[in-house]
Amino acid sequence: MKKQQKNGGQNKGKVLLCSIITVFCLLGAFVFVMSQKISEEMSSSAIQNLSESLDLMKGTIEAILRKEAEFQKLMAQEIAVLPDPVEFVRSYQKSQSIVKVSLIMEGETEGISNIGELFSKEELDFSSGKTVDGLPVSEAYVNYMGTWAYSIQCPVTKDGRQIASLYVEYIYDSFEKSLPDGFYNGQARLYVMDANSERMILKPKGMGERDAGHLNLKDFYRANKISEETLIEEVSACVKNGENILFYHNIRGKRALNYMWAVNDGSLFLIGYVPVEAIQQEGKSVNQNMFTVVFVMLAAFFLCCLLYYFSQRQQNKVRKEREEEREIYNKQLAQALQAAQIASKSKTMFLSNMSHDIRTPMNAVLGFTSLLALNAENSAKVKEYTKKIMASGQHLLSLINDVLDVSKIESGKVVLNFEEFTLNDLVSSVDAIIRPMASVKHQNFHVRVTGIHHEYLMGDETRMNQIIINLLSNAVKYTQEGGNIWFRIIGLKQRSSQYEHIRIEVEDDGYGMTPEYLETIFDAFTRAENSTTNKVQGTGLGMAITKSIVELMGGTIQVFSEVEKGSLFRVELEFRIPEERMDETFWENSGISKMLVLDSDLESGRSIRNLMKDSGIFVELAASLKEALEQMKMNEEGQEKYQLVLFGWDPEDEKNLQTAKKLREFVSPEVPILLLASYDEKGIEAAIEMENMGILAKPFFESALKEKISELKAWQKAEKQQEPGKEDRLEGLHFLAAEDNEINAEILEEILKLEGASCEIVENGQLAVERFARANEGEFDAILMDVQMPVLNGYDATRAIRALEREDAKKIPIIAMTANAFAEDEKEALEAGMNLHLAKPVDIATLKKVIQEFV
Amino acid sequence: MEKRSIKRFAAVCLAGVVIFSLAACGKKENSGANLITSEKEKKEVVRLFGPMEKSDPDAANVARTATDMTVIMAEEKLGIQVEYKTYTAENYQEKTYDDVTLERARNQMDDLYLLNPDTIQILGEEGKLLDLSELESAKNLREVVKIANTVDGKLVAIPQEVVAHGLFVNKEMFDQYGLKLPETPEDFLECCRVFQENGIETPVGANRWWLENFVFAQAYADLYNGKNTAAEIEALNTGKSKYSDYMRPGFEFLQELIDKGYIDAKAAYTSEAIDGEGPDFLAQKTPIVMAYWGAANTKTAYGDPDFEMQVIGFPSKRGQMPVVSMTGYGISKEAEHLEDAKSLLNEMLSDEALLVYTKTNRVISPSKNVEVDCIPALKPLNDKIKENVYVLGSNAGMKVEQWGNTCLIVRDLLNGATVDECMEKFDRLQEESLKE
Repeated sequence: MKKQQKNGGQNKGKVLLCSIITVFCLLGAFVFVMSQKISEEMSSSAIQNLSESLDLMKGTIEAILRKEAEFQKLMAQEIAVLPDPVEFVRSYQKSQSIVKVSLIMEGETEGISNIGELFSKEELDFSSGKTVDGLPVSEAYVNYMGTWAYSIQCPVTKDGRQIASLYVEYIYDSFEKSLPDGFYNGQARLYVMDANSERMILKPKGMGERDAGHLNLKDFYRANKISEETLIEEVSACVKNGENILFYHNIRGKRALNYMWAVNDGSLFLIGYVPVEAIQQEGKSVNQNMFTVVFVMLAAFFLCCLLYYFSQRQQNKVRKEREEEREIYNKQLAQALQAAQIASKSKTMFLSNMSHDIRTPMNAVLGFTSLLALNAENSAKVKEYTKKIMASGQHLLSLINDVLDVSKIESGKVVLNFEEFTLNDLVSSVDAIIRPMASVKHQNFHVRVTGIHHEYLMGDETRMNQIIINLLSNAVKYTQEGGNIWFRIIGLKQRSSQYEHIRIEVEDDGYGMTPEYLETIFDAFTRAENSTTNKVQGTGLGMAITKSIVELMGGTIQVFSEVEKGSLFRVELEFRIPEERMDETFWENSGISKMLVLDSDLESGRSIRNLMKDSGIFVELAASLKEALEQMKMNEEGQEKYQLVLFGWDPEDEKNLQTAKKLREFVSPEVPILLLASYDEKGIEAAIEMENMGILAKPFFESALKEKISELKAWQKAEKQQEPGKEDRLEGLHFLAAEDNEINAEILEEILKLEGASCEIVENGQLAVERFARANEGEFDAILMDVQMPVLNGYDATRAIRALEREDAKKIPIIAMTANAFAEDEKEALEAGMNLHLAKPVDIATLKKVIQEFV
Repeated sequence: MEKRSIKRFAAVCLAGVVIFSLAACGKKENSGANLITSEKEKKEVVRLFGPMEKSDPDAANVARTATDMTVIMAEEKLGIQVEYKTYTAENYQEKTYDDVTLERARNQMDDLYLLNPDTIQILGEEGKLLDLSELESAKNLREVVKIANTVDGKLVAIPQEVVAHGLFVNKEMFDQYGLKLPETPEDFLECCRVFQENGIETPVGANRWWLENFVFAQAYADLYNGKNTAAEIEALNTGKSKYSDYMRPGFEFLQELIDKGYIDAKAAYTSEAIDGEGPDFLAQKTPIVMAYWGAANTKTAYGDPDFEMQVIGFPSKRGQMPVVSMTGYGISKEAEHLEDAKSLLNEMLSDEALLVYTKTNRVISPSKNVEVDCIPALKPLNDKIKENVYVLGSNAGMKVEQWGNTCLIVRDLLNGATVDECMEKFDRLQEESLKE
């Protein structure tokens, strides 16, 4: 269609072009014809003008001749009446035109003249028969003055009888003053020719070339290359018959109009030529002007065409740009529509899923609550039902948390909380969560940390947890029972010495994903669905949240997956390395300066040494028990002994326990032996029964080691000082709790009561402040503060309490207990002066832990 | 930015076009009622009479180019206009140019005339011509020019070029036979003898015009190169000396050349200049010819020979002798535009104008201040003239016209007349001149 349109456009263009060319051809032809016509008219007019000029000259010469003849007649009449005509003639003074006067008396052959010479008629040739005013006129001749002259014969009659003949000689030079001083701007040439002798007898000044002359007509022909016989014959005939003739002939290579103009019945001829360019000068000028006008008009037309063309081009360009723009907009709109449709579809699906996902646990909660009411007496069932209600509630809570997270991220309200954390804590907490989940599905969960230079890093640990747990929980979810899950933290080459560059990999050999799904995996409200995964619960928001958080941290996330082969998620992040460490003296204080690492995996041993290189502890490696024992022997002999032994528990090696025992036997009891293993390794329980032996969870971290050392020491100390079991309870503690929700308040009160503690509930922050202000010092061990409350919220209440002028106002622990569960909420709580932030619903174990920590 | 500039430029151009168009529509009103804006400037006119030369087809008249150039220079300098009057006889029955010149000069028809030597003499004697010695340009003239154009002590004509005749010899042929270039008539005869003995039957190529130069060289070598030139001329003019006495040695010399077959008299009598003897000379069959100066410069004459050519003077007892003749411009004593004619001629004969003329025609200038390098072949002749060694072929101061009359009498000799008969003719001419 477009091609057809294009062809159509081209054809139109061709037609237009042809039309324009045709119009111009017609215009050109018209202008040419007009110019020809003008030239012809002008030429005709010029010929007319030339003819008129020549007629005028002819008339002038003839008038002169007539006047001369008339004058001569008068002279003859006067002579006739004179008594002495001879004396009259002799005394006649020559003038400019009459140069000689002669008289021959009738019957005589010779006469007298005024110049004193004898005059004979024979000197003159009147044979041509030409006359002027009836008087015979002679042929031209060179007279006594050396110039061309002619004579007119006039009879002197007395009483009707001729008594003499009067001959008067005139010179042709006298014509000169009566002829124009050049014509056709001096370009015309003019000679006066005597017809009979064909001699050029006068070349008036200004009308002939100064450097060339023509002797006679023959010479005129020769000099001007007039050699055409017919033309010469025609000219000769005209000369003979006394007729005028005009003809074109080239003179000196230029086209010229030649003329022969008869004067006095052909006794004389005006001969010459005018170049055509001189004749047509006016026509040429008109034509030139006309061509100039046409040219200017054409130029103007072309200019207009050019302007029109440029204007059109510009418009086309703009139109094209607009069309392109519109196309882009349309495309964008289509994409947006598609996205909106997908989003709508996703959200619809999400709602559907949510409806399903929320209803399922809710159904369980309600169902088991009903069953609980019915079986309240049966404690076993009560326990079972409450356990299931708890599980359903927790699932419900995670759903809500995810939805809130997405909402928060989408609205750009997420703020990262940068704090120092250790990879050990991160890995431990993740391990603690994921490993049980994997165990349920009989999956193997492998954790490996390699190439890490710095364990202490600055970052948002909570969000890091969230990322990793999301990825790992998905791996657990989407991996069949008995599958494998790998969790790797790999130290990459540092781009800057101030930043640790790490890669986190989560790999599984589970169901995998289709390429289509991979494209949308990070979009919100999507969830892999197939026959296998339909049974998997989830909001479909996890990956979107993960990706958003990774990007918020300035990192990247990649995914590789194949259906039925498994998936690999790769996250790369950079964390700032904290400048100072507070516990640099830990190792000095602990008295450990040398340790032995027994690990059959030498790579693992080297990694430990690498991680410990900044600690100042000398780390020696041993690949086998034998080697370890030899080294220990050598040390025994030396000055410095090992203060710590790390034994890499190889799950594949069945002699682990034996090795542990031998180590324990060999190493002195005060030297701790730590088993580098997972808590659920087989036989490990038996091992840790041995004295001063503990488990250091894999992977190895310096901080974990420090923690373990501290634990061991604290345990040893506590063993001596404390009674067992007491620390787990909140016995005797009294709390002030600000909680506006009665149910929550009741729950809290009940929980604390179960733990042997008591609390006083106030309904808002204001009351809490007032109550605390009234309280005796030490009346409350801590304040549990809700945040969103009427009258005065938790933050302001905390600030008010901290501002009270009481000694314990600054010290009393204030623990936030709120449904505002985000990191920024926690940050705000801490900024308000609270000591800790606990998200609702409150987990009793967590509550106990933090209360023990602060109170 | 660029588009904006283009738009601005287009706007400025458009505004310019509009202003131009509006301005073009305007019309300047005539300030007065007279529609003739300017009249032709009227120039003073000087009429110059000269022979009309036939022009070539489709070409300007080249023959008068050099003269025209000097006329134009003078016209531009003086602001006057020269009006040409010309005459040339169509046939022998008509009046000759000289006849018409005399008539026109006697009737004061023109202001300025180009005169042949005989008319200079006639009109000078008649007192029709103005004494030109007062002209500024006359002071620069060579002595020879002054002598040749002085009549009754008055400088009546001045030429624009000095025409020198000489012998054109084939130097290679002279060298071939171990001959020196002839200085005297005897040398010349000896050379001819040797050439003839060596198979060159007619060593001298001649025509009917220029054999008289042998006569002039021998006749007037002493007259013009001695110390009594004026006295000797005066003696001739008064009849105290006879022209025939001067002329006889030259005629006898010519007779001897004819008798010994060194000149083919018959061929010479019927030959036109160069046309007859030229081809044999160029073909190196004839070692000696005679011609005028310009023939050595003209390719159609002897300008491009295949041998070493030299131009020397005619043999005389005083050695090689160039023969000089000249035409000249004279002003009518009663000219209508006398002062303008004098100014015009003064300019035409100024060193500046003569330099142009001499360079154009490559001739000897009448001005002693104008020297143009000549070709090597002309150097011997030029050297003689520079040394003031020459004879005049025409002299207005002599009452018997020389150039034309001598030419005619030499033809008689060629036609079989004896030397005595020829001398009688000179005597008659002298007698006639004495009668006047």
